[in-house]
Amino acid sequence: MSLKVDRDSMAFTFKGGMLPMTVMELTSADPERIRDQLAGKLSQSPAFFQHTPVVLSVEKLDEPHLALERICAVCRAHKLLPVAVRGGPEPVKQSAWALGLGWFPPQEASRPRALESVAPAEPESALEVADELETPPGVTSGGRIYRGTVRSGQQVTAPEGDLVVVGAVNAGAEVLAAGSVHVYGALRGRALAGIHGDAMASIFCRELRAELLSVAGNYKRLEDIDPRLLGTTVQVRLDGDQLGITSLS
Amino acid sequence: MAKIIVVTSGKGGVGKTTSAAAIATGLALRGNKTVVIDFDVGLRNLDLIMGCERRVVYDLVNVIQGEAGLNQALIRDKRVDNLHILPASQTRDKDALSVEGVEKVLETLSKDFDFIICDSPAGIERGAQLAMYFADAAIVVTNPEVSSVRDSDRMLGLLASKTRRAERGDDPIQEHLLITRYNPSRVDLGDMLNLEDIREILAIDLIGLIPESEAVLRASNQGVPVTHDATSDAGQAYTDTVARLLGEDVPLRFHEYQKKSLLSRMFGGGRR
Repeated sequence: MSLKVDRDSMAFTFKGGMLPMTVMELTSADPERIRDQLAGKLSQSPAFFQHTPVVLSVEKLDEPHLALERICAVCRAHKLLPVAVRGGPEPVKQSAWALGLGWFPPQEASRPRALESVAPAEPESALEVADELETPPGVTSGGRIYRGTVRSGQQVTAPEGDLVVVGAVNAGAEVLAAGSVHVYGALRGRALAGIHGDAMASIFCRELRAELLSVAGNYKRLEDIDPRLLGTTVQVRLDGDQLGITSLS
Repeated sequence: MAKIIVVTSGKGGVGKTTSAAAIATGLALRGNKTVVIDFDVGLRNLDLIMGCERRVVYDLVNVIQGEAGLNQALIRDKRVDNLHILPASQTRDKDALSVEGVEKVLETLSKDFDFIICDSPAGIERGAQLAMYFADAAIVVTNPEVSSVRDSDRMLGLLASKTRRAERGDDPIQEHLLITRYNPSRVDLGDMLNLEDIREILAIDLIGLIPESEAVLRASNQGVPVTHDATSDAGQAYTDTVARLLGEDVPLRFHEYQKKSLLSRMFGGGRR
């Protein structure tokens, strides 16, 4: 017996990965109501519903017995793939496992990070009230422009299209986009582009100080970034399965 | 109607209570009827800094729970007439505070006072969130140090989303940056973050800069807010801060390293 394992004989390796995931925060346990709302969303943005994996969060529900199987069926009928359940009491956990779904413990109450929790992020000065958040019709389809500083603990997402941040992304903040991420300021936090797997997506920033850069699930940590590039204007894109960072200045 | 100002930071030990006491004192010295409330239930300190710890009978929690009237709990400052202190409870925990209770206390105080200063506990939990919830303005106390800056940044995010003004969609809370424990010579050596870096990261208006000073520790231990020490650099810096809060345009001081002249070195210099 040797503790050494021959690399060639291994069938797999375990790797830590950070994958973007859509959380579906249920506020009703009624499958019919979920079906109606999904049908509405599907007609608005069909691009989003392409066997998209979702985590069903039941933290806000107070139902010991959930019609989990029916809810999953409704999701699948609308091309959403439930992969796990988050929160809920013991019976919900058991039925999630019985359905072959994973179960995650509920999120800490002190760190609300649902997508909508960021939307009302208020501007920092009165001057910027009017145009803090806007989605220009027809300019970037489904993209989003955020004006102001994205602060530690905040998360700004463009679930479809590009995200443009006119301001800095501070350490501890997170910006995510289905398309590319553009930061007109210092990028000190985490930036994830191509969160639904778009390998052509890129990250652009004025001043690179990022904690984490990720394109389509391939990531680099601050430690992996060439120190000479820190503080410069760069673009980040996928080159094979490696992230390439090139200077734009 | 009073203006409600929360003094907050996220990180502990950066000088929130010292600043709340000094600013409340400064506002009162300028003729404003001011009350300073300690929200740090279970770890009260404000009464010590204000030098009124021997006169505490009732506290904020007693008032909220209806065990005492507001006038019974308010302590009148010995040095400045129009300054009052509402102490925190040392024996309860933060769960004793309720949103409705705090709202009622602030509403009642609003009728009589010009300024209500809320001294927030550290952290981002319930106590801190209650202290900021009803505020019109926030003073974010930050030390020239990376972790303090990051916590302040987090706090600014919460101020923009977890306050009544944000929830109602009213005018956003006014955010002011107060840098404390600033030591220009250590900034020059690169031991401390410099003023410009902090301003760039936090991107809010600077209301004051308090130099690291022996006067602050002395003031805390004597229970006399440092604003009363008009000869000290920290006392003067807080007086400047109060003037700016009242809308005056006061130039920044104490942010540059002053080399001591030969004479002051020979004679030991003044006190700092």
